[in-house]
Amino acid sequence: MCLLVAWRAPVAAQVTPPSAAEVARGRYMFGATGGCGCHTPPKGQPNAGGRRYDGPYGTVFSSNITPDRQTGVGGWTDEQIITAIRLGRRPNGERLLPVHPYPVFNGMAEEDLRAIVAFLRTTSPVTKANQPKKLIPMFESVFLPAWLAAFAPRETPPPKAPTAGVPRGEYLIRAVAHCGECHTPRTMTMATDNSRFLAGNPKGPEDQAMPNITPDPETGIGKWSVEEIADYLGSGNKPDGDVAGGLMGEVIEGTLAGYKDLTPADRTAIAQYLKTIPPIRNKIGKPVK
Amino acid sequence: MRPRVMFRATLLMLGVTALTLAACRTTAQTPSMTAAEAIDARQKLMKEQGKAWKDIQDKTKAGQIAAIVPDAEKLASTSKQIPGLFPEGSLNPDKSLAKPEIWQKRADFDAAAKNLETWSVKLRDAAKANDAEQTQAIVKDFGRQACGTCHQPFRVPPKQQ
Repeated sequence: MCLLVAWRAPVAAQVTPPSAAEVARGRYMFGATGGCGCHTPPKGQPNAGGRRYDGPYGTVFSSNITPDRQTGVGGWTDEQIITAIRLGRRPNGERLLPVHPYPVFNGMAEEDLRAIVAFLRTTSPVTKANQPKKLIPMFESVFLPAWLAAFAPRETPPPKAPTAGVPRGEYLIRAVAHCGECHTPRTMTMATDNSRFLAGNPKGPEDQAMPNITPDPETGIGKWSVEEIADYLGSGNKPDGDVAGGLMGEVIEGTLAGYKDLTPADRTAIAQYLKTIPPIRNKIGKPVK
Repeated sequence: MRPRVMFRATLLMLGVTALTLAACRTTAQTPSMTAAEAIDARQKLMKEQGKAWKDIQDKTKAGQIAAIVPDAEKLASTSKQIPGLFPEGSLNPDKSLAKPEIWQKRADFDAAAKNLETWSVKLRDAAKANDAEQTQAIVKDFGRQACGTCHQPFRVPPKQQ
């Protein structure tokens, strides 16, 4: 009996369940990413993967990130999940394609990543095998490592997440909500052109054009007030009476949580930061009213 | 009942039934409308609804709760017209953002239009009661839950250029 107690004690110490506050924080940060919607096909089971992405690399399908032990990430350790989110490596060493935006998620603070993992473990497991990717020859062995070394931007994780104001907005936009992945145009190498950060992408994901959200008054959202931007992120309501659609509608609504669940303070911080970036004239389709 | 009275009552019922059917046909199907006319009419209606929705948001922010009743009523009444403005054969990607799913999943589309009416009535009633808290709560979700649930599956997002 003593041996049993002696054997159990350290295990109990290692597996301290996350607090309710940490899970709630994880849910909140999960929503701040847009609900990790790439892992949920329209009307599909949340986080069960299978959404298709086509590109010059071939075709990939998002992964099951539910806590199912056989087909999801239920058998992974916290460190393994964080490594996948931040560095794009599976436990077996296989490299993820940066369709999963790990070069920007690398900028998330450790405490936020740990909270997200704690939240993911509380979600419903779904048994659904990942679909195999179909890549062009030598993509993973040659092109991907070379591309990552040459072109992938890499954010630096802060020791602590900023808590308020413009720095908070910058942190959320760059490292968490990953706005640049859709709204920043890409160069011929498919890397984001950060000299035109958030200036709109005529060739965005899923065949959609992504609007210019710099403060340019004619082609961006320079005419929107801080309050209007913050309202939009929480409600999807545009100042002209229209509502968000397409992928933006999805990330505002989210899956298990979305941008709509951000606090007014965080939405305002995002809006304030957007007002500080350089205005860039770049017309994408119809001007944003 | 005497035969003459019965005859008159039957005539009256038939007349009322015919008028009701005619009214339903006009609002639900608009059979005389060409595809181009339907596209024009629905785009005009969406603009009117967008204006009403913007007025609702502005008035709510300004605390003019009772003043949004006519706008909400307008959304409720015009939402009834939506199904009739999307007749078969009016898909035209060059002129309209309507997705083919409207006609492929017609029952879902009609339900989405009905959902707009339901939300609009709820909003109107909250505003009519001058219930600021309830009105603000409805306005916060309205764009996503009343408009977005139709726009998301049935309206084409901005296309790649």
